[in-house]
Amino acid sequence: MKYLVLGFLGAVLLKCWLDQRLNLLLHSNFHSLVLIAGLVLLMIAIAGFCSAKVSNKATKIWPLIVLSLTAMGLWIWPPKPSLSTLAANRSGAQLGQSELSFLSPPEQRSLTDWVRLLNSQPDPNLYGGDPVQVSGFVLDVPGKPPEIARLLVRCCLADATPVGLAVRWPKTKSSNGWPKPDQWLQIKGVMAVENHQGSLRSVLVAKQIKAIAAPTRPLEP
Amino acid sequence: MAQIATVWAVFQGLLLEALPFLLIGVAISSLARALDPSGHWLQKLPKGALLGPLSGALLGFALPACECGNVPVARRLLAVGAPLGTAFGFLFAAPVLNPVVLLSTWAAFPDKPWLLLLRPAGSVVIALVLSGLLQLISEAKLLNSELLAERRLSQPLAAFSLLERSTGLIGQPLAALATDLKASVQNKPAGLLSHGVNEFLELGSLLVLGCAVAALIQTLIPRDLFLALGQAPTLSVVSLMLLALVVSVCSSVDAFLALGFADQVTPGALLAFLLLGPVIDLKSVSLLGRVFTLRAMGLVLAGVSLTVLLMGQALNLLLL
Repeated sequence: MKYLVLGFLGAVLLKCWLDQRLNLLLHSNFHSLVLIAGLVLLMIAIAGFCSAKVSNKATKIWPLIVLSLTAMGLWIWPPKPSLSTLAANRSGAQLGQSELSFLSPPEQRSLTDWVRLLNSQPDPNLYGGDPVQVSGFVLDVPGKPPEIARLLVRCCLADATPVGLAVRWPKTKSSNGWPKPDQWLQIKGVMAVENHQGSLRSVLVAKQIKAIAAPTRPLEP
Repeated sequence: MAQIATVWAVFQGLLLEALPFLLIGVAISSLARALDPSGHWLQKLPKGALLGPLSGALLGFALPACECGNVPVARRLLAVGAPLGTAFGFLFAAPVLNPVVLLSTWAAFPDKPWLLLLRPAGSVVIALVLSGLLQLISEAKLLNSELLAERRLSQPLAAFSLLERSTGLIGQPLAALATDLKASVQNKPAGLLSHGVNEFLELGSLLVLGCAVAALIQTLIPRDLFLALGQAPTLSVVSLMLLALVVSVCSSVDAFLALGFADQVTPGALLAFLLLGPVIDLKSVSLLGRVFTLRAMGLVLAGVSLTVLLMGQALNLLLL
């Protein structure tokens, strides 16, 4: 029985690797580890079946139940997290200047590049009028217009921290016109300067908004 | 509904990241069992209040694993009768004193040389303090009953009283353990495999519970709650210690996570975050239950919390 559970767990790890869910859960450094662990567990399970002479009496029942139920859960319910809910509980990542090693032209910068740049050289007047084309998910900010954001991950979803850009959305009659949280958007616009709580800050003035599918790799390293 | 889906996803992330490391730990533990079944060599590791924990801590350079992976290895050291201090030194300091963690700390904080020095030094201090503290109580009250029974089989009879034996003439024999050990002896490769699988399944199921609790708390409690006290000298240390307990990330990458809020907190709080997490967190606390009794785990938590708090405070006094 224990080799069956072990083999099943190994198969689930392989499935997780194959169905691309790891892109949503883990930093890419750990993907190959999951694959190798799945293969090793399967091989151990096969080796265990081949050496069935050994008594299995010492196996406790509760680990088998816990791991079987977990493996079944992983198999049946793929992760569908609300990135906005997750990000709402985390403060934004402080990206240091040391991480800014290369500066691409404005229209080629990703959302993370922009946030890094704004953190390292925060003078908003430097970027006024720069063309911007970024993609990300809509991050709900209580009491304020939503931001366009990405999640940075160093290890797994547990340590994900959001980086977001303030957006001036096209005029609507009410705040209901703002996009829904978690929606993935591509925004074309220009960077502008606005007065925010007594100080100047950069804001992305959205001119063209397009709903897009969630990218294959929604997390950024 | 969105929160349940998010808890489930965070749980999966934590578990899938930790399982390979647990497997590595169990593999090393099984290898040690195969190479030194009687624990003859491991029992000869240095003893003593200072040398024991130090040598255990340095073992981390040979067996680089994070906190999930080193629990099974530490269990093996204890099971074969290795000195307590050595096993505790490995258990508490090796998750930091290994090349992977030291390199990641350097990569994350190249501008904070004091952190590169104080993180490993602090881990050694924690190992020494906890090792000394835990050895104040008897092995019978310190170690998980199954682990204790296995350890007794490897120790000379003179090392403990007959009343402490849980096999033999006095006390209840552990049938499961006896069967397992018998299988190991009669059919060595298959017995080792069976034992290793049992260990992986038991620790894996505990890891599942730890990941579930960590995912639940992480999603429901705002992280800003912990960072709000960022600049208060003492409270910032305490709050970052709580954050380390909750976040439960692997010690090999926690420095990169800390980079995200390093500018918002005091230096002492940053050090406290990087020291406490590798010793104990919500994810690994269930695994430690396979090594220690409840009382000993309380002692570990109290001892490490106090030590880390004092170190964090001292650093704040020096640098602020």
